[in-house]
Amino acid sequence: MFSGLHAAIEGTRAALASIRAHAMRSALTTLGIVIGVAAVITVVAVMEGLSSSIDAQLDDLGSDMVTLRATTSQEQAMLGFSNKLSYDDFLVLKAKVKDVEDMSASMQAFSFGSTVSYGRETIQTQVIGTDSGYQKVIKVFPQQGRFIRSTDDDRRRRVVFIGESARKKLKLPDNPIGEFISLSGEWFRIIGVAEERGSLFGFDQDNYIIAPFSTMASLAGARVTENIDILFRPAAGADLDNVQTQIRQILRKRHHLSGDDKDDFEFITAKKTKESFAKVTTSVTLVAGGVVGISLLVGGIGVMNIMLVSVTERTREIGINKALGATPNFIMLQFLVEALVLSLFGGIIGLLLGWGLAVFISMLMPSMPGALVPGWAIALSFGFTTAIGVIFGLMPAVKAAKLNPIDALRYE
Amino acid sequence: MTYDDQVIKLSNISKRYEMGGEQFYALRDINLHITRNDYVAIIGPSGSGKSTLMNILGCLDIPSSGEYLLDDQPVASMDEAELAKIRNQSVGFIFQSFNLLPRATVLANVMQPLVYRMLPTSERQNMAKQALQRVGLADKLGHFPNQLSGGQRQRVAIARALVTKPAILLGDEPTGNLDSKTTQDIMKLFDELHREGHTIVLVTHEQEIADHCQRVIRLVDGKVAKDSRNDAAQRERLHV
Ligand SMILES: Nc1ncnc2c1ncn2[C@@H]1O[C@H](COP(=O)(O)OP(=O)(O)OP(=O)(O)O)[C@@H](O)[C@H]1O
Ligand SMILES: [Mg+2]
Repeated sequence: MFSGLHAAIEGTRAALASIRAHAMRSALTTLGIVIGVAAVITVVAVMEGLSSSIDAQLDDLGSDMVTLRATTSQEQAMLGFSNKLSYDDFLVLKAKVKDVEDMSASMQAFSFGSTVSYGRETIQTQVIGTDSGYQKVIKVFPQQGRFIRSTDDDRRRRVVFIGESARKKLKLPDNPIGEFISLSGEWFRIIGVAEERGSLFGFDQDNYIIAPFSTMASLAGARVTENIDILFRPAAGADLDNVQTQIRQILRKRHHLSGDDKDDFEFITAKKTKESFAKVTTSVTLVAGGVVGISLLVGGIGVMNIMLVSVTERTREIGINKALGATPNFIMLQFLVEALVLSLFGGIIGLLLGWGLAVFISMLMPSMPGALVPGWAIALSFGFTTAIGVIFGLMPAVKAAKLNPIDALRYE
Repeated sequence: MTYDDQVIKLSNISKRYEMGGEQFYALRDINLHITRNDYVAIIGPSGSGKSTLMNILGCLDIPSSGEYLLDDQPVASMDEAELAKIRNQSVGFIFQSFNLLPRATVLANVMQPLVYRMLPTSERQNMAKQALQRVGLADKLGHFPNQLSGGQRQRVAIARALVTKPAILLGDEPTGNLDSKTTQDIMKLFDELHREGHTIVLVTHEQEIADHCQRVIRLVDGKVAKDSRNDAAQRERLHV
């Protein structure tokens, strides 16, 4: 006599009436689901926003640049060793490796950043000692003046090329070319200012000072053998694997590594950086997913609890309805719909809340371009809340449907 | 009177309750046939099993033993969905304790049995309004049960039983809370329904109402103690 649809419509009507009758209780019941969904939406939105902006910036940086860097294994570190790439390594590689367009040595002059001053301003910044090739590899362009030339390097000139935020922090004039700044007590003349790059991962990318490699090396004195990074870009159309193999063979020989020794250096590519970042976002998302899963479970149990209370409370009402002709299926559907409406309601509030929170967070973090709520996250949240409504609503609904009319009518 | 005219047939119906290890018979070996369009009063002292019998007749309760044929169908063989259909379509039940839905208005209460039929809401409303008109409560549609007097609640319960136009109307003390004027009005309504062809079974404490019916069954300690027919002349005198 009833179609399922009829029962669903009447069930929804009855469910909404009952939810309205207990508005406060219903709101508290859905809190667990609201929090769960809000959490998943916030985390996903922030992670998506972050990774899309990082991908874009990494692409910007030039995805074909490779950094070669010394690595030290944990055992070696514990024995007090630290592996290095030397300037001689660089010179040999530069001379021997084929299919490489530009290769540049870069030295982190002082490992903890250096004190740089101009007038009364003193700042901490990153000082890099490198050669003219660096400009091409890293694609850094002057907005004023010029980059370091090989003659600067050859003659160990005391000149620097600076980033835009280093300029601002030192309160240098808009056109600082020709000004002198002090670097660990030595005077350097500014020859150029770089184009602004913005920030990446929330780090300022414009707070640096670049000086010629040989100048820095001579200032470092005994530390000429200081560890360096080698940056290069494979020639157009060249096979990166092949280039890496050449470098590996040369370096292993120079570092006296035997057959089963591990490399004491590594190649860092933009692709690798992207991958490792993707790994981080995935694991953050997974952890967040676990937390959210638990909170949704708790939320679902909350819904089940309140539905069980509701069934008990409304035992007489159920008895009356059964006496008036409600079938077990009808009663079951009514309670199921009620649980579903409750949890979906929580899902919608949670979605809006999470979205708002993500937008708020992205406003607080200037380096974030904006929160992104992907369609799959919305679909997932709704799928999840629907499943919770059905799974946790089923038991109370079945309990209600099974009530014997005369016992239910006698229930006080 | 043909065999087929027996709309209700009870054979050896018993209802047992287990109380602290002891068995208690609320009903014991009831044999009872009720003819279509009969007008039956069930009387008896409090606790004699009247409500228990009515609940079984209304398919709300199941007997511990015995057979109940409703329209020649064995009720014991029906599943819950079929029983729900019978409660909704064949039987109208007026409860001793009203059993109104507290959170629903008078109109919604009377519309409730129609929810389980596929009828448009407007039609449900019209039918419910008509039924409420018949019990004289057309002006209380929007009230909630707790805003009504005992007698008014009873009349809502009656309207709700009538609204589906059931073939069998079962009233468990339907006039228990009414004054004599309203009782007379309600009895007139039952008379009308009887003339329209409904089968009516009423539980009552009042001799006047029992005399008003065609047949009086007296229960004592769960057994039929007396089953008699009122003569027409006597009924005529009482009939207003
Ligand atoms: N669920 C139950 N468990 C145990 N005993 C019950 C139960 N329901 C009814 N009884 C007993 O069955 C007997 C008959 O009860 P019933 O309600 O049918 O009486 P009644 O004739 O309707 O009385 P009244 O005129 O007071 O309404 C009573 O003694 C009652 O105590
Ligand atoms: Mg009774």
